[in-house]
Amino acid sequence: MNYFLDSFLAALKLIFQFDLKTYRIVWTSLELSLSATALAAALAVPLGAYAALREFAGKRLLQQLLNTLMAMPTVMIGLIFYGFFSRQGPLGELGLLYTPTAVIIGETTLIFPLIMNLAMTAVQSADARLFATLLALGATGWQQLRLVLSEIRLALFVAVVTGFGRAIGEVGTAMMLGGNIQGLTRTMTTAIALETNKGEFELGLALGLLLLLIAFAVNFLLQNLQRRDVR
Amino acid sequence: MSAYFLDRVAFAYAGSPALRIDRMVVEAGRLTALIGPNGSGKSTLLNLLAFLKQPDEGEIYLFGRRTDGGDLPSLRRRVGFVAQNPYLLRGTVLDNVSLGLKLRGIPRTERRTKALTALERVGLAGFAERPAHELSGGEGQKTALARTLVLEPEILLFDEPFTYLDQASVALTETILADYARKEGRTVLFSTHDRLHGLALADDVLSLFDGRLVNARLINVLHGRLRDGWFDTGKLLVRVAEDITRGAHLAVDPSEIVLSPAPLTSSIRNSFEGRVVIIAEEGARARVTVDAGEKFHALITPESMQRLGLVLGKIVWVNFKANAVKVF
Repeated sequence: MNYFLDSFLAALKLIFQFDLKTYRIVWTSLELSLSATALAAALAVPLGAYAALREFAGKRLLQQLLNTLMAMPTVMIGLIFYGFFSRQGPLGELGLLYTPTAVIIGETTLIFPLIMNLAMTAVQSADARLFATLLALGATGWQQLRLVLSEIRLALFVAVVTGFGRAIGEVGTAMMLGGNIQGLTRTMTTAIALETNKGEFELGLALGLLLLLIAFAVNFLLQNLQRRDVR
Repeated sequence: MSAYFLDRVAFAYAGSPALRIDRMVVEAGRLTALIGPNGSGKSTLLNLLAFLKQPDEGEIYLFGRRTDGGDLPSLRRRVGFVAQNPYLLRGTVLDNVSLGLKLRGIPRTERRTKALTALERVGLAGFAERPAHELSGGEGQKTALARTLVLEPEILLFDEPFTYLDQASVALTETILADYARKEGRTVLFSTHDRLHGLALADDVLSLFDGRLVNARLINVLHGRLRDGWFDTGKLLVRVAEDITRGAHLAVDPSEIVLSPAPLTSSIRNSFEGRVVIIAEEGARARVTVDAGEKFHALITPESMQRLGLVLGKIVWVNFKANAVKVF
């Protein structure tokens, strides 16, 4: 028990003394997940909205596919891209393996279906009267799209934040594609998984506490947004 | 000049027919009421007239011009449509009222001035900065009316304007609609299931029943079947004109009904004894409802009401000529 308590106190010390090594890892984590989230959102929100507003063959299939992909294990994404990026792989020449870019690509792929699916659902569940109102007021095609997105912006934001939550909390992709290189691809989750083995339990614990803090903050934000959205 | 002319228009929802109109005219510059029971196709018709839906068959002419194949956004911009239970967007009342102007590229200051004037007109001065989702049903509807009026459309369509309103707001909305037609010379068409109200307010009345236009005012509608010059409602036998051979519904124009203390005898007349059950004000006239087995609504002048000494519960006779009976 003493071991646990001592480590816990040491972890708190790392956090409150603003230990450079610890916060460097937090920063790397945020940098990679936020980049992946921005990239995924930029692609998934417009595509999701477009897919929701258009009728086309295979729309149901697309949604089922997105639903399935949401359950993709993170380590599988890591494995697939590892195959692409490794020296013998088709994209091996680019030298992307164990770089931040590789992690960003992997995490973007991981959360893209999630954000697109949620964005699509958000547009589809918008009030049917909204579309008729915009038409009656004389909105053109582009004006409609812009106004619909602005009208459901909270739900879209929830989709993006949910994606961020998944990216920052995942370990499989970051580990397989990033390789836990200090200052470059050592994220909170990979550090917790790998540094603890090297005897740095208090660092793992400090990072774990900070990760929990971020996860809870994101969750708190989501709940508040959703409460504001339901009126 | 007709604002709308409909030629053999039909519309169906997923195969089930909702509307079939052979010919319909809405005169320009007049206040027209579209009356009919719930589910008769009023909202569908208004959606077609607002170019939000396209007819499956037939042709809609707008001020004498064909609209089929026309540019829908520009057609929609000529027609203002206030839906029943309208949708308000996020933001303030002012944001909502200026939205249509914004979509038309009107500069900000001009939008504001026009929107504030429109709000004042619908009795919502001082509501500009209120969040739209905090409004009551009636306030929301008036905001939607202001949002449409501010665009000064050539035609104003309003689906069930009086449903959510209190008495004072009903009077104000009536004045706005009437002024828009009679003072500003625009065309106004509103739907209502309160047929007597529509009749009292409007210049013209269009009656919709089961998705079809009928040449009757749809008040005192009774259901039953025809038998040798008589219409049997199950409770009453109503004498109808001899040339009528088909139909399962009848309607008696309330201003064709004469109330009397004793039956008016004539072979071509219907006379039924009944009790006065409702007396209400309807514009400049009185609306008297008499229960004679079936309920009949009559519109009579205050003078004849006084002359007959009508009070609730009084026994009177409901009289109308056979050719005042419309069968459809």
